[in-house]
Amino acid sequence: MNAPLLEIEDLCAEVGGKSIIKDFNLTINEGEVHAIMGPNGAGKSTLSYVLCGKPGYKVTGGSVKFKGKDLLSMSVEERAREGIFLIMQYPVEIPGVPSTTFLKHAVNAIRQHRRQPELDTMEFLKLVREEGRKLGIDNEMLKRAINVGFSGGEKKRMEALEMSILKPDFAILDEADSGLDIDAMKIVAESVNRLRNEQRSMLIITHFQRLLNYVVPDFVHVFADGHIVKSGHKELAQELEQNGYAEYVREK
Amino acid sequence: MDNLVQNINYQNNSAELQKYRKDSLLAFQKQGLPTAKTEAWKYTRIRDLKNDDYQPAPQVNKTGGKVPFTAEIIEICNGYIVSMPKTVSGINIKPITEAAQYLGQTYKAEEYPFAALNGYYLDRGLFIEITGDLKYPLILNYNMVPEDKDYFYHFRNVIICRQGAKAEIIEQFNYQGELKSRYLANIVNEIRLEDKSVLCHYKYQNEAFKANHIALNAVQIAKDGKYESFCLQKGANIARNETFVSLNDEGAEAVVNGAYIMNGWATLDTTTDIYHLKPHTKSSQIVKGVVGGEAKGVFQGRIHIAPDAVATSGTQLHKALLLSDTAEIDVKPELEIFADDVKCSHGAASGELDKEQLFYMRSRGIGEDEAKQILIDAYLNDVINQISDETIKEWFKSLK
Ligand SMILES: Nc1ncnc2c1ncn2[C@@H]1O[C@H](COP(=O)(O)OP(=O)(O)OP(=O)(O)O)[C@@H](O)[C@H]1O
Ligand SMILES: [Mg+2]
Repeated sequence: MNAPLLEIEDLCAEVGGKSIIKDFNLTINEGEVHAIMGPNGAGKSTLSYVLCGKPGYKVTGGSVKFKGKDLLSMSVEERAREGIFLIMQYPVEIPGVPSTTFLKHAVNAIRQHRRQPELDTMEFLKLVREEGRKLGIDNEMLKRAINVGFSGGEKKRMEALEMSILKPDFAILDEADSGLDIDAMKIVAESVNRLRNEQRSMLIITHFQRLLNYVVPDFVHVFADGHIVKSGHKELAQELEQNGYAEYVREK
Repeated sequence: MDNLVQNINYQNNSAELQKYRKDSLLAFQKQGLPTAKTEAWKYTRIRDLKNDDYQPAPQVNKTGGKVPFTAEIIEICNGYIVSMPKTVSGINIKPITEAAQYLGQTYKAEEYPFAALNGYYLDRGLFIEITGDLKYPLILNYNMVPEDKDYFYHFRNVIICRQGAKAEIIEQFNYQGELKSRYLANIVNEIRLEDKSVLCHYKYQNEAFKANHIALNAVQIAKDGKYESFCLQKGANIARNETFVSLNDEGAEAVVNGAYIMNGWATLDTTTDIYHLKPHTKSSQIVKGVVGGEAKGVFQGRIHIAPDAVATSGTQLHKALLLSDTAEIDVKPELEIFADDVKCSHGAASGELDKEQLFYMRSRGIGEDEAKQILIDAYLNDVINQISDETIKEWFKSLK
């Protein structure tokens, strides 16, 4: 069996004074792809933000280890440099910062952390263009301010491009498929599959089984009311698609 | 009277200049230094200028302030002209004392105490007459050198763009070494644009951290003349860059843009006063500031549209980014519109760095300080990008 990459134990977290993550447990080993499905408002995005260290998300209990290190004591950028990447459900627009400028800062910050030499402009442009082409992102789009005025699908493709370039050890995809047309979803799924290897792990948050047909998960979890209520394999996703979450959601 | 008015051995003491200095002194004494009650200076408090230690700056011949592009350079140190370019086609450069017939005609001395004081000291400065299309920018490189004492210097330029002439002038204010004195640099530019002439006037104010920098740019624009300006302020303890523009005939246009960046404890003031006197005149202003520490940004912008000045347009926008709870912004926009069929607007906004944007950048591995700097750069580039000259635009981006 592969070594554990991410170990979440009894994690509790709140946001805006409201307890959202409640005794959450999950271990993800190297090379595994886990999918999380669950009703709206269950706390899936909250979990991904907590793992990234977003300010305002307060951990009230439990522990998270990443590559054996205490993840929760690291700053947002340290986590990213250690290899955590989140495709955000709602990517952020940054007016005035061209996508290439943004990507260059990011890639070099991470390379510096890995003690790799910084990419010069030529090397960097070659890399972005190559990866961009695979995701249908052209030079025009790369010159535009990051995510500003991008369509929903374009934003998700840009997220996938960032992931392809930064090559994280652990990627969280928070509804990477929402807003994508069928062709774009295939393109994004392919970029995910290209990254998939023996060491790299992923956590895929989605509402639709469709993405999981392309990126086949090793495990599927049902997430409700702040924690995992059922775990299974690929078939669980199909079951959920048919029956919904009714049996997992407590009557209020 | 203040020690700011001292007896001087003028290099040139012609009767004409004597009279001008005397009139200027009267205008200054009538007003005195601005106080908390002076409306035009209510946000920018002049602090220690009455200090007895202020003395005229001694002559020093140092040069500095390199630029990464070809330019005609005039070196000025402690308010003394150190060196000038040899003959440049399309331009005549003489000492200010030869511009006697033009002095004091672009502004009202009784409304500008520092310009009046500058008039009393009038002896050094440049008379720049542009007659053609300048190939390279003309740079006025102002330098201060380290001293323990508190010095002042006054410098006056008369810049005339003759009919159809075209030029770029850059003023650069730098200092050398560890300059801890509270010197005063008091600059007046009297600028006239004749018919169809174009002047791009750029300024980089990077004075030492205790300096006082007061500048008045008084601009008169004739038919179809165009004045484009941009001023980046990032030095000094108290700095005011004031621009008075009079659009005197149809087709006259002025762009008065600026940016300022300040930390620590300082006041950076941008004041504009734009008079539309005739129909079909146009003005626009964009000023953006980034203020941290206990610093204060001041923007006072007035647009005045005279009764006859129909079909004019005047726009104004001030925006500031506050990096700390103790940073302060004071904004006073004024529109005085006495004509119909006028397009006028003003806007002001201030805010903090966007937390979502910072998180997004950090989540991609970019360090917090670097992320902040990227956002600040983007914020300021917005106005720097208005500069029409690509080379100079890039230069300003590298300075901020
Ligand atoms: N800043 C906040 N203050 C208060 N409540 C918040 C805050 N942020 C999120 N919440 C609440 O936390 C709960 C979980 O939100 P979250 O976005 O994690 O859900 P989700 O499972 O990702 O839902 P979806 O499937 O709709 O994306 C929601 O009820 C949401 O309203
Ligand atoms: Mg969500």
